[in-house]
Amino acid sequence: MSTMSDAATGVHPGPDAGAAATGTADWSPYARREGNAFDELYARLLPQIEPLIAQYEQKRSALIPLAHLFQEQEGFVSADALAAIAYLVGETPATVESTISFYTLLFRRPVGKYMLQICRNLSCLLNGAEEIMAYARERLGVRHHETTPDGLISYEEVECLAACDRAPCAQVNLEFVYDLTRDKIDAMLDAMRGGSYEIAPLPQTVRPGRTWKVAQDTGLKSAGAVGVSNPNNAGGVGDASGVVMFDLIVGRPQYETRSNERLVHETSLHPEVSGNGHH
Amino acid sequence: MADLITPVLTKGIGELNLRDLAVYQQQGGYEQLRRAVAELAPKEVSDICNGSNLRGRGGAGFPTGRKWSFLPNNGRPRYLVCNCDEAEPGTFKDHMLLEETPHQIIEGMLIGAYAIGCDHAYIYIRGEFKRGFEIMRDAVRQAREAGFIGENLFGTKTKLELTIHRGAGAYICGEETGLLNSLEGKRGEPRLKPPFPAVKGLYGEPTVVNNVETLAYLPYIIRNGAEWFAKVGPERSPGYKIVSVSGHVVKPGNYEVALGTTIRQLIYDCAGGLRPGRTFMGVQPGGGSSACLFEEHLDVSYDFDAVTKAGSMLGSGAMVVFDDTTDFVKAAYALIRFFSHESCGQCTPCREGGNWIQRTLERILDGGGVDSDVDVIKSAAHQLTGLNLCALGDSIEPFLASVITRYEDQFRAYIKRPAQQVAI
Repeated sequence: MSTMSDAATGVHPGPDAGAAATGTADWSPYARREGNAFDELYARLLPQIEPLIAQYEQKRSALIPLAHLFQEQEGFVSADALAAIAYLVGETPATVESTISFYTLLFRRPVGKYMLQICRNLSCLLNGAEEIMAYARERLGVRHHETTPDGLISYEEVECLAACDRAPCAQVNLEFVYDLTRDKIDAMLDAMRGGSYEIAPLPQTVRPGRTWKVAQDTGLKSAGAVGVSNPNNAGGVGDASGVVMFDLIVGRPQYETRSNERLVHETSLHPEVSGNGHH
Repeated sequence: MADLITPVLTKGIGELNLRDLAVYQQQGGYEQLRRAVAELAPKEVSDICNGSNLRGRGGAGFPTGRKWSFLPNNGRPRYLVCNCDEAEPGTFKDHMLLEETPHQIIEGMLIGAYAIGCDHAYIYIRGEFKRGFEIMRDAVRQAREAGFIGENLFGTKTKLELTIHRGAGAYICGEETGLLNSLEGKRGEPRLKPPFPAVKGLYGEPTVVNNVETLAYLPYIIRNGAEWFAKVGPERSPGYKIVSVSGHVVKPGNYEVALGTTIRQLIYDCAGGLRPGRTFMGVQPGGGSSACLFEEHLDVSYDFDAVTKAGSMLGSGAMVVFDDTTDFVKAAYALIRFFSHESCGQCTPCREGGNWIQRTLERILDGGGVDSDVDVIKSAAHQLTGLNLCALGDSIEPFLASVITRYEDQFRAYIKRPAQQVAI
């Protein structure tokens, strides 16, 4: 039950492993963590998880639906959720990470309460999307793949949303907004800031980072990030989501005492990785 | 004008709440499923489909009945997968069908599944269609409660199961083998073919992947007979088709017409023509992957073969119309950026080529272009074609090449520097 995750993370079960016996966190192959909010979330979602997996003939098919499920609760696919998915579908966390990183709608980092995604494809461009995007950037003070300093709104420019008859269009938290104009952008942003926006905010369990660094640093795909279309997701060197996992491994006492010695005793690494996860 | 539009799938949209099972049944819904399952043998259903000469509405235009006939009789389980990962730039027909008439899709899927002898059908819905996914989920629940999904359907021994799957944002998952990988919980990278999905598809078993619109036509073909569909439009490319018209037209929207309607009729009669005072510069007849057609092609019949003969393709049936305000360099850039962004990265020509052409166009748009750039990008796009596992890489060339050939002056206008000053 626990072997795969052990092999992938290099973390071994401690004396309190086998948390299944305790009744909580039976997804977790290696530790019982007192008061961990994810364990409660997992227990709460379990009635939904089981039928979700059962509707497929192979359980790995449930990987993406499970990621959606956890993301809908936590706002992004956390390292805990990733480990839980790995356990549930019987794959290693690395495999789950590799799959999740392929898809642009699965976030491995926290995003704002409102994810504004404006279409930048042809039919919208022909109908003034360029101006609309410039205006949205100006109003928000952020660029593509960035979040406003207050952590409220994340902004992306995305590909065709299949609503070309009502261009320019956008999605807010995956709900469509059609026929965008400057006035509509104004009204939308004011309502978001005033807390009266008609579309429900995303849950935000962790405050989002201001920018998604990988995108800004290179803007290009690295050799290690073949096909990674969203810099929010895993990539090669400098990969942000890797840092999150690294934080988890190094930052938690129960891992610290028994994880890879080199990591723990390399003091120069320690202050960097125990920060907020942005480098 | 009005008689061009023949609502079959689109009938009742905007007037009736077809999401509701009772309303759909009042329109004769699920009656054809009952007839197929209770009165017809699977072979009879697929014969009707074959006789109608229905061609796939998702892009490739492959005859649906023939696709089904490729399934081997090896006693293995079979799967039907409905492709609702609509993401081709300019296409918005499946989005509408999903949100407005989910029961039509379910009925078509179940009839298709019955015809090929599959007892578990899947529908793969694009991740962005969260609302559509919820609508479909409710519709499936209603259909299941009414006894249209499950075991012992209509008092027979037939079992039909249906699972809704939502993707998570990747254009490439519209490619059938990419879709199958994604449905298996993997990265949506297309597979090497052969083996084709008909032999080795979902979970390694024989699988048919059909588009939403293709399957949605099945109940009507069963009801009205193969002849009804086959005699509409050109003989080899018959039937009706929902055409998504967008871009610089007065009334963008989905128009369901008989194939064989001309491009001119679609633009001027259905979509209301161009805005006042504008002139026609071109049209993309089949989504972002198709080559641009121009004024001389306006009277081309809109069907699979004629559009191909004109040098483009019908694709998913998405028309994007350009008037004289269009900057074709930016238009080409938008599409190249799209393909570069959506490349899964498996095949070097597509991954590197798309990215490279995108960056070159970026440089041209920024005023850093050199004289040789135009020929170089055209040649690069040509050279990466045909070297990839799937059609995404091959989709880079058509539009770019067609607009460079036609509107080279627009590209040249951006380029102010002679070649020798810049190292590429």
